[in-house]
Amino acid sequence: MPKCTINGKEVEVKEGTSIIEAMQQSGDRIAHYCWHPGLSVAGVCRLCMVEIEGNPRVQIACNTMVTEGMKINNTSEKVKDAVKWGLDFHLINHPLDCPICDQAGECGLQDQYMEYGKYDPEMAEHKQKKHKVVDLGPTVVLDSERCILCSRCVRFTEEVSKTNELGLFNRGDRTEIGTHDGMPLDNKYSLNTVDICPVGALTSKDFRFRQRVWYLKDAETVCNGCSTGCNVKVYYNKEGFFRVKPAYNEQVNGHWMCDEGRDIYKFVNKEHRLAKGMIRQGGTWKEVHGGAAAKAAAEVVKASAGDSLALVLTAQYTVEEFEAIVGTFVNEFKTKKVFFWINNKESFDSFDGLLLRGDKNPNTKGLLKVLEKHGITATWNDLSAGLANGSIKTVVVAGPENMAAFPDFAERVKELSKAQNIVWMQATKHEALTNLPGNVWLIPVKTFVEKDGTFINHAGLEQKFKKATTIVSEALTLTEAALLLAGKNLAIPASGNEFKPMNQRADQVELEARKKNEFVFRRGSL
Amino acid sequence: MSVVQNNSEKSKWYLPGILGGLNVTMKHLVTNLLNRKKMMTLNYPEEKYEYSPRFKGNHVLTVKKDGSLRCTACMLCATNCPAECIKITAAEHNDPSVEKFPISYEIDILRCVFCGFCEEACPVDAIRLGPEWQTPAVNGGQFIYDINHLAYRPSLKGGIQTHVDDEERHKQGI
Amino acid sequence: MAEIKVLTEHYHLPEYQTLAGYKAKGGYETLPKALKMQPQAIIDEVKASGLRGRGGAGFPTGMKWGFLPKNGEPRYLLCNADEGEPGTFKDRMMMERAPHQLIEGMIISAFAIGSHKGYIYVRGEYVYPIEVLNKAIKEAYDAGLLGKNIMGTGFDFDLDVYRGAGAYICGEETGMISSLEGLKGQPKLKPPFPAVQGYLRKPTIVNNVETLAAVTYIIKDGAQAYRKHGTEKSAGTKLFSVSGNVVKPGNYEVPLGYPLIDLINKECGGMKPGRKLKAIIPGGSSAPVLTAEEVGKANLDYESLAGLGTMLGSGAVIVMDDSQCMVDMLGVLTHFYAHESCGQCTPCREGTGWLNKILHSILEGRGRLQDIDLLIKVADNMKGKTICALSDAAALPVLSFVTKFRDEFEFYVREGRSKVKGTTYAEMHH
Repeated sequence: MPKCTINGKEVEVKEGTSIIEAMQQSGDRIAHYCWHPGLSVAGVCRLCMVEIEGNPRVQIACNTMVTEGMKINNTSEKVKDAVKWGLDFHLINHPLDCPICDQAGECGLQDQYMEYGKYDPEMAEHKQKKHKVVDLGPTVVLDSERCILCSRCVRFTEEVSKTNELGLFNRGDRTEIGTHDGMPLDNKYSLNTVDICPVGALTSKDFRFRQRVWYLKDAETVCNGCSTGCNVKVYYNKEGFFRVKPAYNEQVNGHWMCDEGRDIYKFVNKEHRLAKGMIRQGGTWKEVHGGAAAKAAAEVVKASAGDSLALVLTAQYTVEEFEAIVGTFVNEFKTKKVFFWINNKESFDSFDGLLLRGDKNPNTKGLLKVLEKHGITATWNDLSAGLANGSIKTVVVAGPENMAAFPDFAERVKELSKAQNIVWMQATKHEALTNLPGNVWLIPVKTFVEKDGTFINHAGLEQKFKKATTIVSEALTLTEAALLLAGKNLAIPASGNEFKPMNQRADQVELEARKKNEFVFRRGSL
Repeated sequence: MSVVQNNSEKSKWYLPGILGGLNVTMKHLVTNLLNRKKMMTLNYPEEKYEYSPRFKGNHVLTVKKDGSLRCTACMLCATNCPAECIKITAAEHNDPSVEKFPISYEIDILRCVFCGFCEEACPVDAIRLGPEWQTPAVNGGQFIYDINHLAYRPSLKGGIQTHVDDEERHKQGI
Repeated sequence: MAEIKVLTEHYHLPEYQTLAGYKAKGGYETLPKALKMQPQAIIDEVKASGLRGRGGAGFPTGMKWGFLPKNGEPRYLLCNADEGEPGTFKDRMMMERAPHQLIEGMIISAFAIGSHKGYIYVRGEYVYPIEVLNKAIKEAYDAGLLGKNIMGTGFDFDLDVYRGAGAYICGEETGMISSLEGLKGQPKLKPPFPAVQGYLRKPTIVNNVETLAAVTYIIKDGAQAYRKHGTEKSAGTKLFSVSGNVVKPGNYEVPLGYPLIDLINKECGGMKPGRKLKAIIPGGSSAPVLTAEEVGKANLDYESLAGLGTMLGSGAVIVMDDSQCMVDMLGVLTHFYAHESCGQCTPCREGTGWLNKILHSILEGRGRLQDIDLLIKVADNMKGKTICALSDAAALPVLSFVTKFRDEFEFYVREGRSKVKGTTYAEMHH
C-alpha cells in the first residue's frame, strides 16, 4: 500500500494504482479525455499532466504508477500551462459548432475548457476538413471534425465488445475514426461508444436532435430489460423520457449496458400507455378513472373469491408489489391459484458473456421468492385446464410493461379470454386487450420509472430503486391495485421517504421527493 | 410617501392656476387647428408611427439565398427566452452540410415579452425582432406563429436575408 | 586525422556483397569465437567498448541489453533499418554493400541476449537493399550460418526481412514493433519498455544496422581496440551521411570527436565554388540547426553537439550554403513532420499540422509578424509532451531555425518574399 502526496495531501492507495486513479480517490480534479476507468490506458490526449518531484518533465498521470513517497502536483503553473496548450491543440481543428452539436451541455471539451482553458485562441489558419455525418452503422453517426481522436470508442470495440469494428485511419491531423469496409458498427453494445465519447463526434441515431441535454433531468434506476438488472440513468422532462444511459455499478454492469436496454424508455412514454381505466360489462366500453376501474373490479373479484378466482403474474413488477398482490389473493380471497406467466422459456438461461441475458424479466427471482413464501405451486397447465373446464371464472392479470419481451402476448390473451371476467392490469396499450370478449376491467398501472421498489436480479442481488417521475397520473401500482381490489381504500403515504436505494452513490445529493419532480431549467449556467 | 399640506394663503388662490392650465389647452387647440403637422396625436389606423430601426416588434426568421431557413435549431433562443414562448422541433437535414434544421418553429406571441433575448442568443442571425408591432388575430390559435408566418409572411416579400451568407462564411473558414 | 575505415574498409569491393567475398576478407571469423564465449561476456565486452546506439538517440548498447529480464521468456532481436530520417542514407549503403556484416553482427548479438528469432525491419522504399539482404540471408542459411545449430554450436537463430510501408514513425522502436505486429505503425506507451515487453509482448531489443554491425568488430578486436578511436564518452567510429551544398556529398566513416568543419572542408571537398557556408543540421532533420559560427566549434561526438544545443542523431549532416532560404527550408521540414505524425498524441497531431500551416501562410505571403512568435510558442508546447520523440523532432528544428535566423523570417513576413534572392516558393502538395 504505497503512500503518496497529491497536492500536499497524503493519500494511501492500492499497489498498482495509477496517479489519475489516486487523484480520483483523493478528490483532486484533473483534466483528461482518453483515460476511461473501464478501458485500457492509451495516453494520447496528453492532458492529465502532473509534476512529480524529482522529475523535470511533466508526466501523464494515467500511465504513471504511484510509488512510495511520490510527491505529485497538478496545480503548478507548469502543469496548468501544459494543460492549457493541450486543450488548445485539441481545439484548433475542432469545428466549434456547439449550437448544433448534441453533446453541448455535457461535453468534455466545453467543461474542461471552462475549467482549464487558455481563453486566448491563436489559431488563425484554416481548419482541417474531414467527413461529416458519417453513417457508422444502424445506431451511431460520426462527425469526424468534432472527433478529438481519444480512441475510447476504438478501445471499447477492441476490449469490451470485442467486435473490432472501429479503427483509426490515416495519419497526422488527417486521422479519422472509421469502420472497415463492409463492417459497420453493428453490435449489441454499440451505443456505449456514444456514452464514452467525450465530445459530440459519435451521436446516437435514436437520440440525435431530439432534445438539448439541458432540458433533461436524470434519475437513477434499474433497467427492466432483462434479469441482469443493469443500473441505468433515465433522462426525461415533461415531454416524456428520451434516453437511457448506464450508471456505474461494479457488481452488476460496470460502466456499460446493452443497446436493447436503451429502448426501455420508449414504452413508458405517454403515447404507448394505457391512460385511463376501461370497463366493459355487457357490450360497450366505458372509460373511467384508473382507481374507479379497480374499485368496480373489486366487486366481481370478491364475488368469485375462492376456487374460481385466479391471478396471473408477469415478472415485470417489484418485489413489494408481488408481495402485496399475492398476499391479498392468498389471505383475503383464499385462493392459491397464482400463475407465473413465463414468456421466454427456451432462451431463459442464455447469456452472451457480457450483460445480455435471455430472461427478459427484471424480477423473475423476486416473483419466485414471493410465490415460494406463500407456498404456491400452481403451473400454467392448471390454469389452462381450469379455463377449459370452466372452473376458473375470474382472472386477474398483471400484464407486461415491456411488450417487446412478450412476443406471445396476443396468444396468451386469447387463451385467458376464455374466462368470464377478466381484470387486466397493464401499463402499455395493446389492441388484443380492447378486443377481449366478455366482461373486462382494464386498470392502468405504473411502469418501473414511476414507482419505488426492489428488483432481484439473476444473481439474487436485491436492487432498490426510486421513482423518477409520474407519466400517467391515474396509473396504480400493483400494491395500490391490490388494496382497491380487496375493497380497501388507499392510504396516503406518510411524509418523508424511507427508501434509500442501495446503489446510491456516496456523493449523491438527496433531494426531497417533491423537489425532484419539478422541471428545472439550468438557465444562466450557459 | 407623505402628503405635504400647503396651508399658505397663496395656495387658496387656485383660479389663476386653472386659467393658466386652460391657456395651455387653448394654445394646443389653436396650433393643432391651424398647423396640423405639429399635432401630437395620430389618426390610427389610417396614420402609422414610424419607430426607430431598433424597435423590437414581431419576430422574423431570416432565410438563406436559396430561401431556406437560416435557423439551425440550436434552441439557444428557446433556452434563453424568459417567457418560454419558443418551441422548436429539430430534425436531420438531407444535406450533410446543413445537418440540423427546424421542422417546426413556433412562437406564442401572446406570451412573448419582446425582450429581444432570442435575437441576442442566436449564433447565426436567424431570428430578429422586426419593425411590425400590430398583432391582431381572431382566435387564440393564430397567436402562435409558425415558420410560415415567421419567415414567409407576405409583408416580408419572400424572406429576409442576412448580409453574411453561409457560403462566404465557409470560404473564410469560419 | 582523416577517415578511419573500420566498418567500411572493403565497401568498395563489389564481391563483398556475397558470402564468398565477405569470407575472403575475414568475414564470419569472429562468429565461432563469439559463439564459444559466455553470452554475458559478450554483453560485458560491448558495455566496455562504450558503443552507443547509432540510430539517433545514442543510448549505450550494452546497457540496453542489460535491461532484459533474466528469465526464460522468448526474446526478439530486431534490426531497425527503417532509415527514415531525412538526410540519412548510411544504413542503405551498409545493407547494399555488406549484408553479411549485419547478419554476422546480428547472430552475435542474438547469442549475447539469448534470442532465437530476429527481424530486419527495412523501409519499404529500399527495394534493392531488401533484395540484397534476402539473397545474403539465403546464402547464410545454405552455409549453415543461420537456422538450427549454427556452426555446430547448438545455437539456433532465425532471421527474416520485414518490409515496412514507408512510414517515418516506424523508425521509432515501439512504432516499429507495432508495425511488425501487423498493427498500425504507432508508438506504444512506455513503460513498459520494449526490453521488458516489446514485440508480441515479449522482451525485445531493437538496434540500428550500424550498431549491430559494429558488434562484430568489438568482439573481433576487443573493446579496448574499439575504444582507440573516438573520445572517452563517444567511442569508436561512425558513418556520417553528408548531403547538401558540398562538393562531394556521401557517406564518410570518421572517428567520433572529429571536427565538423574538417569533415566538410577536408573529406567533402568544401563548399561549392563561390558559395559560403550558412548553416548545418548535424544529426538528421530532427536536430537543431547550427549556424556557420557554431560549426567551427562543433566536434562530431555526442557531448560536443549536445553542448551546442543540438545532437548527433543519426549522423546525417545537411549542409546549407548562402543560396538557401531558411524559411523555405523550414517549410520543407514542417511539411515532412505534418505528413509523418502518426496522429496519436494530440500535441503532435495538431501541432505539426499547425506549424506547417503557419509556415506555409508565411511562404504564401499571408504571414503576420505574430506568427513568428506563435511558431516558437507552439513548438515549445509540443516538446516533451508526447509518447515518442517525433513531436520533439518536429519542434526542435522550428525553434532553432526561428531563433537563429529570425531576421529571414521577419523579412519574409514584411516583404512577402525571401531574403535570399532567387528563391521562389512552389506550393507543396498537401
